[in-house]
Amino acid sequence: MKTRRQHFGLSHKLLFLAVLAAFGPVHAEDDEVAQLIKPDSTVVSAGLGVASGNSADRAIFGQYNGWRKNEVGILLDFELIRRDDASGLWTNFSGSNLGFDNRELTFSQQKQGDWGYSAGYSELVRHEPRSVITGVLGSGTTNPVVNPAAGLSESNLELKRKGLTVGLEKWLTPNLMVEASFKTEKKDGARLSGIGVTCSNVIAGYPCSATTGALLLLPEPINSTTQQFEAKINLSGDNYLLSGGYYGSFFSNSNSSMKPVINAPTWNAGLVGYLQQTVALPPDNQAHQFYLSGNYAFNSWIRANFHVAHTKATQDQDFASMGLVAAAGLPPNFGAEVNSTVAQLGLSVRPMPKLSLTGNWRYEDVKDDTPLALYNGAFTNTPNSSEKATGKADLSYVLPVGFRATLGVDYAYMKRQRPVATTSITSLTSLREWTEELGYRVELRRSMSDTINTSVSWTTAIREGEHWMSLIPGANLYKEVRYVDINDPIGVFPFTMMDRKRDKIRVLADWMATDDLSLQFIVDSGKDSYAAPTTKGLHDSGMQSYGIDAALTLSEAWKLTAYINHGKQTLHVDHNVGYIAALDNVTLSVGLGVIGKLAKNIEVGGDLMYIDDSSRYQLGSGNAELPGVLPDVVYRATTLKLFGKYALDKSADVRVDLVHQRVKFDEWTWGNNGTPFLYSDNTMVAMQPKQSVTYLGARYVYRFK
Amino acid sequence: MKLWRRFSVLCFFLGAVAVLPSVVAAEIASPVAMKEVPKDLVLKGDAVCTRCHDEADGPDLLAIGKTRHGTLADSRTPSCTSCHGTSKDHLGYKGSDKPPKPDVTFGAKTKVAAEIRNAACQDCHKKDSNRSHWEGSVHQSNDVACSSCHKVHVAKDKVRDKLTQTETCLTCHKEQRAQINKPSHHPIVEGKMACTDCHNPHGSVGPKLMKRATVVDTCYTCHMEKRGPFVHSHQPVNEDCSNCHNPHGTTAENLLKTRAPFLCHTCHTPHGPTQPSLTKGSVTGWWNGSDITQGRACLNCHTQIHGSNNPSGASPSAQRLFR
Repeated sequence: MKTRRQHFGLSHKLLFLAVLAAFGPVHAEDDEVAQLIKPDSTVVSAGLGVASGNSADRAIFGQYNGWRKNEVGILLDFELIRRDDASGLWTNFSGSNLGFDNRELTFSQQKQGDWGYSAGYSELVRHEPRSVITGVLGSGTTNPVVNPAAGLSESNLELKRKGLTVGLEKWLTPNLMVEASFKTEKKDGARLSGIGVTCSNVIAGYPCSATTGALLLLPEPINSTTQQFEAKINLSGDNYLLSGGYYGSFFSNSNSSMKPVINAPTWNAGLVGYLQQTVALPPDNQAHQFYLSGNYAFNSWIRANFHVAHTKATQDQDFASMGLVAAAGLPPNFGAEVNSTVAQLGLSVRPMPKLSLTGNWRYEDVKDDTPLALYNGAFTNTPNSSEKATGKADLSYVLPVGFRATLGVDYAYMKRQRPVATTSITSLTSLREWTEELGYRVELRRSMSDTINTSVSWTTAIREGEHWMSLIPGANLYKEVRYVDINDPIGVFPFTMMDRKRDKIRVLADWMATDDLSLQFIVDSGKDSYAAPTTKGLHDSGMQSYGIDAALTLSEAWKLTAYINHGKQTLHVDHNVGYIAALDNVTLSVGLGVIGKLAKNIEVGGDLMYIDDSSRYQLGSGNAELPGVLPDVVYRATTLKLFGKYALDKSADVRVDLVHQRVKFDEWTWGNNGTPFLYSDNTMVAMQPKQSVTYLGARYVYRFK
Repeated sequence: MKLWRRFSVLCFFLGAVAVLPSVVAAEIASPVAMKEVPKDLVLKGDAVCTRCHDEADGPDLLAIGKTRHGTLADSRTPSCTSCHGTSKDHLGYKGSDKPPKPDVTFGAKTKVAAEIRNAACQDCHKKDSNRSHWEGSVHQSNDVACSSCHKVHVAKDKVRDKLTQTETCLTCHKEQRAQINKPSHHPIVEGKMACTDCHNPHGSVGPKLMKRATVVDTCYTCHMEKRGPFVHSHQPVNEDCSNCHNPHGTTAENLLKTRAPFLCHTCHTPHGPTQPSLTKGSVTGWWNGSDITQGRACLNCHTQIHGSNNPSGASPSAQRLFR
């Protein structure tokens, strides 16, 4: 806030009044003030935008912004804000991107402190950046027809979302409020998916030779609706807040299954029979949740908060209605019921200004009450109950010279339900019933200073657990795998259950070097080391990141920002047949921004951003690295955004935006060096590796009075 | 003569006594002599501040009138001193140099503890159920003040607009700044999603300030088709989406942390001598080549990786998430 000397000479106000008296009507002051404090405005922005290149040039640029398909588009936005000062009634009506497939409209009215409602409509299309080149008829429908002899044609998948939201709120008394909201979203389109099999002895039901197999790209057809309804009542007092409510969420899928037709006379009949099996798509499901949440201040230095919620989630869509066939004797639907309870308690104590203690405990119980049934011969569905507890405690003390030291303890416990006798554990060597993690944090922070704020923190945590046990099918028994007698050195152990040692360090510094220059420094480093009774699987993962941000005020009119960040993530995984993968991801990002005024009525600005992301997939035999098996995946993007705004008068502006983006994306997922990955029917997926697009938009912005 | 003089003095004195109050009163009431009583400009009782910080001194400050705080019809709205304190030293300063600062200031250089700054806001906003878990939250315990993110003296607080919100959040969360610009990302840079679509920065019951009580429940608000429960489930999927996905952005498809098969190999290493490669494997040794590396990699066959509701026991069973 600006302050000024009060006791010399003429005040600015007197000067201002004198000027007004001399050159303007007396009410000019009121007009001036009214303009500064009245929110009422109606702004309409209309214009035209053009984008260079073709759809392939705009694949990444136009993923969500509506420019994938369009070379020319209408830019249309508006906003109306009104406040009735006498009643405090706000009216807001706005629309954005109205000329595109990601348009939004919102309307709301609120009598502040009394009642309010809102309604919104939105559309959003995700244009799959990759093109599908296929001969499949009905690709992206529930009945695709595969014909390897068919000619190929190119198409782009889309997923369109249309959403409607409604919200209501009413203050019944100054301390009692009710809120309700409803949101429905319709999803329509398709996404990359597929089926595949290579015949082997696991395909017992088909006369399928071990020498045949097929992979097919069959996009998943999507036509579903999600609905969410929430109603809650909030009661508050001087020292408490209680909030209780209901949250219901419902998923309904019009496409319950996909039934491919394989028109390939030369293919093995058994293989074709397998590929024509029905693919289950996501079933309808619903969840009902009741919750109570709030906080309480025992006094000015002891506060608590809590949350209790119970959720019942069910999934009972009949298999027959989904076009799925269950074996005789199985129930008509899965009859799934999962009951979850979450309880949380937090406590914050500040016995003296320099000392604070906080603690938080959270417990989550997921009870899978779904009946077991033999869906796969001797095997049933897997019970999925779990318990999870997390807690943390922090002690923080303000030291001399503005330093604050914090000591923290973190705890996490996870218990998963044991598989039963009829559970099939495929592709896993072993499981463990529970894990427990204990961690410590130390932080030193300088929290108050004119020019510099710094913090250094170190976190260490160790996760351990019960003995690993493998399941003996049909016996409802575990075979224990002890560390002392590693009997499965090439076993597969889920990383979420493995022992883990975690170390992290973070250094932050904010420095106001001068009144006009601020700098921010950050260094992050961390490593997770994993262990299990095997020499294989995930060994370790790590991350290092450092960066500098700067903001410089050149003058009242001109400001500069800049940043550079470098990050590296590593992952070492060892495979059971003797190769090790060293996966590195290195990201360099650089940004430069400027905003300023060329003249009183001309504002300009720009941002330049460069990102260089490189993923290395190094394979080795034992500890010997074998580079070159898989090429690096490299993503480089340079984006330049410029804008200029010219004020024609107090009511109207002209704004011009220019965006230029260059992208280079070398990867091997869908092809390498110009050789596409071919599906069995010659379908391929492609994206132009170099993309360059320039967008130019001009708008006329008018503010109605 | 002496008597006359005494009479005159008495008359003058009485007259003075009788007339003086009315003269004084008239003088006080006179428009010429009356000092101007400052009027409120924006907020109730703001005259004590706006007599100096007026439209000429600080026009930007008056923009608070355009906000919800400036809605005078709402009796709950604050005055300047509600947030900045009574600031007696600042208001009563008689010196000729720079006056002391108000009791509570919110700028970048403030020396006022975050807790005190936040108390100014929480006095009113503690009734908001979305802020019930501020105490003990990661932002609170790291001395993030309301004013670190919010601006109240502007018509539009950019952190409350999803088009501009990320500018504020990325000021501290640098790692995410690069991630949201990777090719596989949520529509954040396009302004169709904001950080607060998933996170509640004012504190939450869930981890990582998730809006709902768990990671999966937060993701299900948009991706409810992944909820199931399915006849054949995939346990890490049920537990935490971030086991496999980085929601802020990656270069791998579908926001995967790394590409399959390597991601899958962190838990699974089946299929014998699997060797990722870009060369087509032999039919009998198909797993030793591009079929498990390219396209959707492991998901080429295990397509229903989030779970399958297929009850069919026909071989091969849907249990392995084939269909």
